Amino acid sequence: MTSTVPRPTVTRRIDERINPSTKERFGSALSDNRVGLVVLIALLVVAIGSARPTFWNPQFVMGPMLTNIAIYSVVGLSQMAVLSIGQMNLAVGGMAATGGLGAAIALDHGAPLVVGMVVGVIAGAACGAVCGLLVTRADVNSFVVTLAMSFALLGLVPAVYGWVSTGAAITVDTPGLAELGRWTTANLCLGNTCGPAGVPLLLFLSIATMVVVAFGYARTRVGRETLLTGSSAQAALLSAIPVGRRVTSVHALSGALAGLAGVMLGASTGSFTPSIGQEFLIPSFLGPILGGTLLVGGYVSVLGTSLGIALTVLIRQGLLLFGVGIEGLNILLGSVLLLALCTDRIRDVMSQRSRLRASLQGVPASEPSSEGKVAA
Amino acid sequence: MSGDTTAADRSARARRWSAKDLLRRQTTTLVFVVIVGVVVLTVQSSGGFLSRISIETFFQFLAIPVVIGLAQMATLAVGQMNLAVGAIGGFAACLAGILMADAGLPVWLGAVVAVLAGLACGLINGVIVVLTQINGFIVTLATMTILSGVQYALVGTRTVTSDAWPQLQSLGSARPLGVPLIFWLSLAIAGLLSLAYRHALVARKMLASGGNPLAATLSGISNSRSLIAAHGLSGLLCGVAALLVLCSLPGVNKSIGGDWLLPSFAAPIIGGVALTGGGVAVLGTVLAATIVRLVDTARAAFQLDPSWVNLVIGAVVLGTVALGQANRRPKGLVRVRPTGPSRASTSEATPTGGVA
Amino acid sequence: MTTTTSSPWALEVRAVSKAFPGVRALDAVNLRLAPGEVHALLGENGAGKSTLIKILTGIQTADTGQILVGGTERVFHSAHEATAAGIGAVHQERNVVTAFTVAENIALGNTPTRHGRVDWRAVRDGARRVLDMLDFRIDPDTPMNRLSPAQTQLVEIARGLYADSAVLLLDEPTASISDNESGLLFDVVHRLTDQGRAVLFVSHKLEEVFAHCRTATVFRDGRSVAEAVQLADVDRDTVVDLLVGRTLAKLDVPDRAPDRTSTPAIELRGVETERGHRSVDLSVHRGEIVGLYGLVGAGRTELAHALLGLDKITGGEVRVSGEVVRIKDVGDALSRHRIGYVTEDRKAEGLFLDQTVARNLTVTVLGQLSNRWGVLRRKAARVAADEYIDSLDIRVSSRDQIVGQLSGGNQQKVSLGKWLAARTDILVIDEPTVGIDVRTKGAFYRLIWDLADQGKAVLVISSDLAEMVTLVDTIAVMQDFEVTGHVANTHDYDEMSKAVIRLVHRTSENVA
Repeated sequence: MTSTVPRPTVTRRIDERINPSTKERFGSALSDNRVGLVVLIALLVVAIGSARPTFWNPQFVMGPMLTNIAIYSVVGLSQMAVLSIGQMNLAVGGMAATGGLGAAIALDHGAPLVVGMVVGVIAGAACGAVCGLLVTRADVNSFVVTLAMSFALLGLVPAVYGWVSTGAAITVDTPGLAELGRWTTANLCLGNTCGPAGVPLLLFLSIATMVVVAFGYARTRVGRETLLTGSSAQAALLSAIPVGRRVTSVHALSGALAGLAGVMLGASTGSFTPSIGQEFLIPSFLGPILGGTLLVGGYVSVLGTSLGIALTVLIRQGLLLFGVGIEGLNILLGSVLLLALCTDRIRDVMSQRSRLRASLQGVPASEPSSEGKVAA
Repeated sequence: MSGDTTAADRSARARRWSAKDLLRRQTTTLVFVVIVGVVVLTVQSSGGFLSRISIETFFQFLAIPVVIGLAQMATLAVGQMNLAVGAIGGFAACLAGILMADAGLPVWLGAVVAVLAGLACGLINGVIVVLTQINGFIVTLATMTILSGVQYALVGTRTVTSDAWPQLQSLGSARPLGVPLIFWLSLAIAGLLSLAYRHALVARKMLASGGNPLAATLSGISNSRSLIAAHGLSGLLCGVAALLVLCSLPGVNKSIGGDWLLPSFAAPIIGGVALTGGGVAVLGTVLAATIVRLVDTARAAFQLDPSWVNLVIGAVVLGTVALGQANRRPKGLVRVRPTGPSRASTSEATPTGGVA
Repeated sequence: MTTTTSSPWALEVRAVSKAFPGVRALDAVNLRLAPGEVHALLGENGAGKSTLIKILTGIQTADTGQILVGGTERVFHSAHEATAAGIGAVHQERNVVTAFTVAENIALGNTPTRHGRVDWRAVRDGARRVLDMLDFRIDPDTPMNRLSPAQTQLVEIARGLYADSAVLLLDEPTASISDNESGLLFDVVHRLTDQGRAVLFVSHKLEEVFAHCRTATVFRDGRSVAEAVQLADVDRDTVVDLLVGRTLAKLDVPDRAPDRTSTPAIELRGVETERGHRSVDLSVHRGEIVGLYGLVGAGRTELAHALLGLDKITGGEVRVSGEVVRIKDVGDALSRHRIGYVTEDRKAEGLFLDQTVARNLTVTVLGQLSNRWGVLRRKAARVAADEYIDSLDIRVSSRDQIVGQLSGGNQQKVSLGKWLAARTDILVIDEPTVGIDVRTKGAFYRLIWDLADQGKAVLVISSDLAEMVTLVDTIAVMQDFEVTGHVANTHDYDEMSKAVIRLVHRTSENVA
């Protein structure tokens, strides 16, 4: 017996020409996405490492690179959070700057390190919450809200820096800040055994954050409801999920993570400046997209995001080692992003084709459970 | 029956122009703000703002914001965005500049190259959007990164001075009727666009695709073509902006276009262009660009930090969007309410049809 | 048969098939349309009518088969090519550019131009010509967003007439316009056929079909089960049989005697809403199935939305188990009053198509399935999902299968199952069997009867009268946002349809 109910895909298909809001992309949520990234990263590490042995230098190459991976992974998670509901945050940079600013002011007033960090995270979360409220209450596109927010922060942050400090930067010497930002496992010793020198402590903060976010999405009610909201806001609303609250809190989460990344960057460089976050926007998208998070919402991959970031940073490091300048870097980053988008699309078309072929042969759509794997 | 229709007809007629009225009201508000701004600045500077030099400077630096605002408007009209406005403009200006200064390209050809480079970049954006069917924002984010890299690769840290294109410079310093020629040029472009969006078939098709892609498809209008055309137009206008840069600035370097993003969005959004697509507001965009310019002038007059301009404009954009969207068709997250008979007409009201 | 240019058919569809991912929408269907006739294309929702229309208008292309227009084989790649070949269409959805004027919408796609400039005078004149045909007196310069849905529908029809096509396809054109307006439409249709044009008329309203069409083709489950039937030779029952197959007719309707003496599980008294409902009285007892019948646009779904707190109730009172309540939102309806709402549009509103069956089934009970820290108990979630996959007999390869891959019937079961999982006492089921294949319908009805027998109060919203007559205990009729009356169901179609139709027309008569 054939599957008999024609699905009214017609209108959707046409809409997609302008707005690819298809929910039929579950096929692209493939786990091999992450496997592919791991293989690619391994190959690049071997290639770069053998061509340029300085790559293994813990102090000048490996350490800073892993620090970058740590910070940018959190940036990627910040974007991933809003992507999980099919929205975007263009103000990741601004929110990171705000986070850095908040932490700097608190630390400057003598707050202990942890309090300063919390203030920074809350400052970022507050910006995100404002965006979330505007998105839900005023029913405005997240894109525009966060774009406008980024403009406002672009002006606000330097203005506040100028107001609270004489220079354009705040440098604080709170106990623990330098250790957090610049220590590596080499500084941690048990007796006479110390860790390797190339692994910064920030990496552990980043991993802890990833674990919390991943657990939240995979195992908690709020995380599940958020993903379902991303899958279909309409259905979520009619399934008794408090959609408005989920959207607002996801924006706040995104802001909090961005704020955390800002604090981490400030800690790693030793001073807080308005330029924190300026470089965040592109990587924030690269990580999740390369990692398999869908732009349309409903699916996230924390590990994939981090691997995507790792790949990006690795390429960047490789280019620097080979003496390619900043212009090459930008060109390459943009190209990688375009390429990732294209492969996403190709995968999409392929999975559609195979399902089409299946139905042409008169059997119900193939039901490979691997295609349906939805994991955080 | 006929009673039916005439009643409906009558009520339709009574409400007939309210959509246009909304847009007109917004335009009136903008004009009012412009007047207030001018008065405040004049009083503050005890008339100095109206001096010849001051007026010249004001319009000299208004031409480019107007054109890039229109460039953004062209993509907004089809429900897309172009983050690469600045990158395309910077790239086109630097490419033409390098070719004229280093490769000895004739100046007139350099001008053509600037415009055509912009057009080509826009078309590429459009083609990628259509092929990948991915949100135009992400695509232009990628091309923006690439183009700014290319721009840097072209000029590096050097500033290519305008000595290589004296003819363009003399155009840029021309002041017919006491107002810079390049501003007249930007106004002419605005006028041309306004006419085109009203009368040209291809532009009407773009608006149809932006307003309702499904209806467009059912009428045999190719949405893909509309998207490519809109991105192409946007790129073309970026190229024109690049040409204006060559005319008016002392040289080109890697930072050209770097700060265009905010003004390019601010002008059309404040000017009343719906972000959902389907409408344009040329006059509104020009007026809003003028207001942004007034804010910048005021900032200089009160000797404030330049970042305050970003703050003010960002806040105004946020406010405009939040307030304006409330009156518009809900197209955001939650659209539970199916259009019922009693509410349909109000909830679908979109003040976007007219071309102001 | 060879292709000749002197074909007796204005339009001929030969063995056209079309598949979508996961489904075969059309399976070698045939259709023949003679010049000068009104030909009905009948079929239930999901039978494939709209797909054929889309193919005939160039929105989609057929996988196999031929389409001949006036004897010449054609393949359309865009709506423009179809129009050029002489096929005009009025589509089911209201597809207008609200920012444009009436005239420009009518001319959209065929806008007259001079040197690339739109010829506004020609646009207006052309629009006025077709608007006059419909006796629709509206200024062609009126912006579209000022029109009511019925007026919009009239503009859509005008658009179909604009191109002067030899073949006109009307896809449910009368769904949202008044009888008077449809009368005018049919006048135009007959005028067109008198000129030798062919009209293909897609409709659910059999009265209209029998009144205005000469021949009919019937689709069922993507196949043409009857081709070019002379409607004069057949009666209504035969057509209904063709439409739904025999299965439904043979369904054993159980003897149901719900207890109506107790306090109603849910009761509406004089309810008014911001959407325009007036003095709505309705009550459903435990164990009872009440049908809310009405035409499209009568305000049925809107009433359900108001009940769930999605629209504001402005007057009257809602009682749940006798107590007056105010329901804030869906969460409130579920957690405090145990009301579940199975939506009409399950793809857009009822299901998370790209998520697993298990996730869909447990969405309403995530709170109960998580511990006090908000962490999900995964085993409990699996058990809960499996319970409803079993009890509803949902055909899946595993609980982790993606819902979008299921058939319509199984999807509907998932959509219902999430409310059963939440152990609701009151179920509002909106269009329970739209897009579900005929064989599954019976099973679905049995399921609803079982739920009522278990003591749930069920309110079924439907515009399918046959379904109402089979399924429910009492039919409440809604027209123009008012409940015009209640009829106890005798399960006799003819008797019931007369009673219901009388109630449908009551308000308009009262007004007139």
